[in-house]
Amino acid sequence: MGNIKIRKGVFDTRMELVHASVAAGFPNQSDDYSHDALDFNRDYIKHPEASFYGEVEGESMIEAGIFDGDRVIIDRAVEPSHNSIVVAWWDGGFTMKYLDLTHRNDGYIELRPANPNFPVFKIDNPEEFEIWGTVIHLIRTFEK
Amino acid sequence: MYGIADLDNCYVSCERVFRPDLKGVPVVVLSNNDGCVVARSNEAKAMGIKEGTPYFQLAQQFPGQKIAVFSSNYELYGELTSRVVSIIRQETPAYFRYSIDECFMYLDGIELDQLQTWGEHLHKRVKREVGMPISIGLAPNKTLAKIASKLAKKFEAYRHCCMIDTDYKREKALEWCPIEDVWGIGRRYSAKLQALGCKTALDFAKHHKDWVRLTFNNINIVRTWQELNGEDVVPNEELAKKKSICTSRSFNGMISDIDGLRTHVSNYAARCAEKLRRQNTVATIVGVFVNTNLFREDLAQYWNYQETRLLTPSSSTSTIVKAAHSILEKIYRQGYQYKKAGVIVMGIGPDSPIQQDLFDINAEQFQKMKRLDEVIDRINRLHGSETIVLGSQQYTKPDGKGKADVFANAIKHDHKSQNPTTRWSDIIKLK
Repeated sequence: MGNIKIRKGVFDTRMELVHASVAAGFPNQSDDYSHDALDFNRDYIKHPEASFYGEVEGESMIEAGIFDGDRVIIDRAVEPSHNSIVVAWWDGGFTMKYLDLTHRNDGYIELRPANPNFPVFKIDNPEEFEIWGTVIHLIRTFEK
Repeated sequence: MYGIADLDNCYVSCERVFRPDLKGVPVVVLSNNDGCVVARSNEAKAMGIKEGTPYFQLAQQFPGQKIAVFSSNYELYGELTSRVVSIIRQETPAYFRYSIDECFMYLDGIELDQLQTWGEHLHKRVKREVGMPISIGLAPNKTLAKIASKLAKKFEAYRHCCMIDTDYKREKALEWCPIEDVWGIGRRYSAKLQALGCKTALDFAKHHKDWVRLTFNNINIVRTWQELNGEDVVPNEELAKKKSICTSRSFNGMISDIDGLRTHVSNYAARCAEKLRRQNTVATIVGVFVNTNLFREDLAQYWNYQETRLLTPSSSTSTIVKAAHSILEKIYRQGYQYKKAGVIVMGIGPDSPIQQDLFDINAEQFQKMKRLDEVIDRINRLHGSETIVLGSQQYTKPDGKGKADVFANAIKHDHKSQNPTTRWSDIIKLK
């Protein structure tokens, strides 16, 4: 019981101190105590209007740590650069690969898998190709 | 300055977001039940496919031609268009969503010499982030902004943003615009104007104001004439159509469970629908509010209000009750004693003709629903209120497998796309 009383006393004292400092014209630092809870959507999805989800099929990005069944968050507002992991429309479907811009000035770009058993796609016909978005997060669930 | 952002071939553009291969290909979207064509890509328009063409005639009329056909997928269209509206909200000082694919904007905070650049930026941002093309019209009033957006859509040189900011540009635009395409001129008036020799918006605008007043004796037509001549006179309330109908009541006792609330909310929604039908109108927005007993300070207090937009303006009891239910699900919180609930319907307009681009049911079905509602109204008038009610107005059995399910499953949508933005099972697959 004694302990509880002491704590209460400390709490009350602090309250009075804060009041005293306000009266003396000091900034009220207790304002900084309030923080909203962390929120995945708020903090990780920077462009909600431009964000989409995708599900990984196959092993082509396995050395990048991306496995079959993983989910990724795609942000279309993020401009992809050399070595970005991108989602592209190619050969009648969506694919996720490293974007290789090394040969951009030679008239083609490459989509590189992260698995030596998969081929590199050389894109020199932009008509049938579209970089759809940039992969910004990976989601993997370990326990359901 | 005013602006309007218009989603180009809205439903087709939505379908193309997840099908980049359909760029440059004729695409059509069908009405519910795969009845007829409600949206066409530019390529489909160029082929000569007309709006309203019955689906079964497509193959006969265009034998051997490849046309991508989609059943309407309003879940997808609703989600993607709300992303576009959200971007517009960030980019403009004020906006008003006018329909599923049009948004009016008030641009007074943006410098005049920046507007063209701003508009091109807005188009680029929406195209890149959501993947949908929009056309932007900028002008000193709403009527001219509409015409400017048509020009932006039609001519590539505008780079998706056309601004009417000089008299010369205004006259050029009016000369190009057929009278029937002027916002606010209905079919009836455009027929009359054509008969009087006004083929273009300019022909009409050149007439004297007194002539317009004497010929039509209609304030809206005079306003349209004034706006074509550069004034800003169509009130914003005309857009918002603030007129609303509200049905609400305090309960005898207090209600804490959602089933009890649902019964009341259903009844209020049904009454709103009845009122709409009595005055031959339809509503676009349905809102629901609930609150606890404000005078019982000893009890926990809660109130909330939310609204939803109907895909097609409606006065159908079942549509409005269903919308009200979904809102109630969202605002209901357990652990409170509720004292009052209410249903509000807004965005009220005449019940025909319903704007074509808002169609989510085919005409035949719409008429059937209307007849059903009329029969319900008549029986209830003859035999006392609520002789016949919807199942949900009375009680709802959890997981019930009633007739409603049978009907829901009977709706045909053979060519429906997936819902990659609203269902985890449908997110895009990455090889």
